[in-house]
Amino acid sequence: MATISAPLPGIQVSEEGKLRIGDYLKWSVDHKIIGVQYAVTALFFFIIGGALAMAIRWELLTPALDVAADGTAYNQFFTMHGTVMIFLWIIPMMAGFGNYLVPLMLGAKDMAFPWLNAFAFWLIPPAGVLMILGYFAGQAQAGWTAYPPLSTMFSDGDGQTMWAIAIHLLGASSILGALNFIVTIRNMRPEGMGYFQMPLFVWAMLATSIIIVMATPFLAGGLTLLILDRVAGTAFFNPAQGGDVLLWQNVFWFYSHPAVYIMVLPGFGMLSEVLSVHARKNVFGYRAIALSSMAIALVGFTVWAHHMFTSLTPSLRIPFMVTSMIIAVPTGIKIFSWIGTIWGGKIRFNSAMLFGLGFLSMFVIGGISGVMLAAVPFDLHVHDTYFVVSHFHFVLYGGSVLAIYAGIYHWWPKVTGTLLNESMGKWHFWLTYVSFFFTFFPMHLLGMLGMPRRVAVYAPEFQTLNSIVSFASFVLGISTFILLYNMVYSLIKRKQAGPNPWRALTLEWATSSPPPAHNFHGDPVPYKNPYGYGTEAAYRYLEAQEAELGKSWPNLEEEPARALKPSSSPAGD
Amino acid sequence: MTQQISPMPERKLTRDEVIALKNKRTLVTVFQISWIMVFVCLAVVAIQIRGTSGPLPALNAIQVIVPLGATLALLGSVWTAWQSLKAIQADQRARFFVFWRYTLVLGGAFILVMLAVMAFNPYGDLLQYSQIFRVMVVYHALHALVIGAWMVQVYRNAAQGAYGSSDAWGVEAGAKLWYFVVIAWVLFYAVLYVF
Amino acid sequence: MNLPKLGNTQKQGGGGFPVVWIVIGGLIVIVGGYLISLVTPSILPRAGSAQAVLIDDLFRFMLFIGGGVFVLVEGLLLVSVIRFRHRKGDRADGPPIQGNTTLEFVWTVIPAIVVTVIAIYAFVVWQQIETVPPNSQQVGALGQRYAWSFSYEANSETLPPDVNMDAVPEDVVTRISSEEGLTFTSPQLHTWVNQPVNVSMETDDVNHAFWIPGMRIKQDLLAGRVTSIAFTPIEAGVYRIVCAELCGGGHGNMAGIVTPSGELSGAWLIVHPDEETYLREFYYPELEKILYPPTDPALLGRQVIQNYPCSGCHILDDLGWVGVTGPTLNGIASRSARLTASGYSDMADYLHASIRNPGEYLVPGYNNLMIQFNADPAQPNYMSDADLDAIVAYLLTQTQ
Repeated sequence: MATISAPLPGIQVSEEGKLRIGDYLKWSVDHKIIGVQYAVTALFFFIIGGALAMAIRWELLTPALDVAADGTAYNQFFTMHGTVMIFLWIIPMMAGFGNYLVPLMLGAKDMAFPWLNAFAFWLIPPAGVLMILGYFAGQAQAGWTAYPPLSTMFSDGDGQTMWAIAIHLLGASSILGALNFIVTIRNMRPEGMGYFQMPLFVWAMLATSIIIVMATPFLAGGLTLLILDRVAGTAFFNPAQGGDVLLWQNVFWFYSHPAVYIMVLPGFGMLSEVLSVHARKNVFGYRAIALSSMAIALVGFTVWAHHMFTSLTPSLRIPFMVTSMIIAVPTGIKIFSWIGTIWGGKIRFNSAMLFGLGFLSMFVIGGISGVMLAAVPFDLHVHDTYFVVSHFHFVLYGGSVLAIYAGIYHWWPKVTGTLLNESMGKWHFWLTYVSFFFTFFPMHLLGMLGMPRRVAVYAPEFQTLNSIVSFASFVLGISTFILLYNMVYSLIKRKQAGPNPWRALTLEWATSSPPPAHNFHGDPVPYKNPYGYGTEAAYRYLEAQEAELGKSWPNLEEEPARALKPSSSPAGD
Repeated sequence: MTQQISPMPERKLTRDEVIALKNKRTLVTVFQISWIMVFVCLAVVAIQIRGTSGPLPALNAIQVIVPLGATLALLGSVWTAWQSLKAIQADQRARFFVFWRYTLVLGGAFILVMLAVMAFNPYGDLLQYSQIFRVMVVYHALHALVIGAWMVQVYRNAAQGAYGSSDAWGVEAGAKLWYFVVIAWVLFYAVLYVF
Repeated sequence: MNLPKLGNTQKQGGGGFPVVWIVIGGLIVIVGGYLISLVTPSILPRAGSAQAVLIDDLFRFMLFIGGGVFVLVEGLLLVSVIRFRHRKGDRADGPPIQGNTTLEFVWTVIPAIVVTVIAIYAFVVWQQIETVPPNSQQVGALGQRYAWSFSYEANSETLPPDVNMDAVPEDVVTRISSEEGLTFTSPQLHTWVNQPVNVSMETDDVNHAFWIPGMRIKQDLLAGRVTSIAFTPIEAGVYRIVCAELCGGGHGNMAGIVTPSGELSGAWLIVHPDEETYLREFYYPELEKILYPPTDPALLGRQVIQNYPCSGCHILDDLGWVGVTGPTLNGIASRSARLTASGYSDMADYLHASIRNPGEYLVPGYNNLMIQFNADPAQPNYMSDADLDAIVAYLLTQTQ
């Protein structure tokens, strides 16, 4: 009885039998289908963005311009690479995880507004197509930051306008999704689950959603003015007629700095889940982790101008340096709390945990370089260089993407009912981890030695480092396909996972895998502490759960007696 | 109104319906907090542009009084919308129709007057400022028109007998979104005319 | 199923840590951070300015702290994954520790103190590098897609000591003896050791950023605004000038280049050992080019073309240009096929038209990206007819 409040005709999810691929291609208001739709769409754009990254690195194998047709074509590569990765990969992917997991973790039947949820998702494919189609109208070439006047008077093609409209749509989608999360988290927690009994991923989604609803409207305002400048002849950013180019930079970064936290906070949340479950240990300092997400969200609104240290009025630079430094404190709390979480645990080195640990070890480098960048005098040297490129890839790849990988390995059994192949997962991890490091770490050196970002040609003395980066990036690109192959392989092989293969305490595991259309058989009762591992009560809770839902594939390889038994509830009942 | 059709029979809301109503109320509140940021953004941009474009021309009496009058009308519509919401929640349908009509008239008058003010833009000499003035008025009018259209629809639904004390959500949403329009305009008015 | 052992007796979490381990760990962190900070000189270009020395010291300090944090976090991770790895047959969970207020307080307060120290240090450095010394050399910088030009002032006080005013054309005499003097430009920025330089920047088109990695300074050029930055070189030498803000397809070309024959082309900062050398090797010879203009229009053209931002987009071996956004200028005078295609009968007319109105005829495969050089001084991108004639005369010498 998937009674969604006020169901509209023709949008009911098929309740009988298994979900078919076709169900994922249609309009659906089931949050689980929408979550998968987000994730698959995002993965598709991840491949496009990755292909563009490969083109960029191929061009940079040599100091001369030899792959791209001209400098403008190269600029189009990285403009689309940045835009696609941010707006069509990481943000929708995080929204996908949130959609799938938040209602399950809250023991709810669905999001608060299923129709709105579906509508938010269906804004993304047309926006993505519009952005890609810009290729035929003179693709955007002013970088994802689109600074005027380069993006206005000096970008002739309509691709730039299409880019702005597409971002507008994606922003609207993001806001609608976030509104839904806030309402769901505020109103639909089950009996006995206060804010401080919520899983940390839900906390992270709450903080993220608050940032989205407060910051994204600024992007909407700024883009409106940019589009008017391009198509209606206004002169807000046109210096020739008295417009102000810094105005755009301020409005843009007021959104786009918080956007960094939009991309990484859900990753923090996933990491808290993964580390605790696979180290079999309570999260260390739950309140500190939960509240530091909120602190990051709040302080994140006061730091935007550190992206403008070389253009901002000099007297304003120091205040923004101070706020940017402050943000290191809540981030540090998280990192130390995570170490406290695994310290003393029983760490299982499965693929999800490996990516979780990989995140922790790489993200800290991005954090350190972030503090360095916040120091105005040093930033004068490395601003707009490969040092910055390195920094934000350590945060967004080493952070968000590795967290997404950890999340995929962790929740794949729940979403599909099948297990991913572990040895392929380990290959994927080690190849990704090592090639990631050699792709992005040498970029620090390139930037400090004098290579600016966004160039197709560079001084010959940088060729050695650039070649290392490029070859490592090719390995990194290839390693992605191990994951994709593993996904297809596991869907064909169908090694049954059972409801709770990791013996986790959060509610999304207290149902069959995949969950039925109405998510739970009856009303689930949350365990009082979502991370209360190592207590007898938690053990009893899991035992009772197993008695009710049937056995799961154990994460202990040495117990063949329980392995490979199909779960008692067929997939998608 | 002569409508004598009895609205929905009195009944207690189910638990799901209570949650659904709570969800809708939270949604409207959070949406208002979120979307007002676009107006804040444009207001900040207007202040910034005024800072760089030099002194504004002095407005004559008409240019001051007309927008002030429109704004007062808009503020009045807050009261009428609130009265009609209270009326429908108390099942006083006739009173609801009276005040809802006042709201529609006051709101419609406001939109028309402000679009006319924009057409006779008093800041024609200052390029960026006149442009942001136009953008702000039109942007606000778009919201007022969309939400106003919903309020007209509410009126027509009510004329068909919809809404009652146990089912006033459509009216409540219209009124609350209209408050949003008013708050957004008060912000703009303060930036454009007061400070 | 057996109930796994609960109530883990092992002392874990920071609370029960022996002091000796804290001391040893602290030492490892400090020594590790220090060792990492030793790499500073090899990952930064030679420090060429007083500002660079301060910034490098700040970086070394931050690398010391950052290196320490790195060693601490990665070390703890490594110890955790080795010491607390799951062992075969162990079915127990970890101990039910929920947190430790003391420890959490410590790792909130210590990072707060550390970033405060970094912020104060950075602020002190900032105050020092932000100050513009009063005796600065004033240089104008103009950024145009995709080349830099630097302008120097000259007046009757700054003439070469052996100037022969009789040989100077009359209009130059008038300009140089006027109140504002005359300005000449060079694609390179020249100064000398210990002379503070204040660069005041403008752009003719999009935003650029003026960056000299060897001096550690960077400042954006903002369309519609004038910005400036000051630095004091402390070591003679040549330093590459780079554009660091995306400015279009030729962004990467807007920098100093070493030609295959080893010459410097494009934008470079040249720091002479002293003022005398600066005057002798740069200032006077450049000034003399204006004081005694060559009579041969082709030679004059070779001089004046370098005052315009052509090098960022065109290849021209004679001057070491390597830009690729526009068509090559090598052998331009021999490309008679262009005449047929563009409808001109005379190469000089074609070249005139291509500079005054570049969009009129586009070489196949190239877009309409070239600056239009106007004959009207009131318009942006002004180019006098005399300059244009000289440039065309020079280009006509570029045969294959």
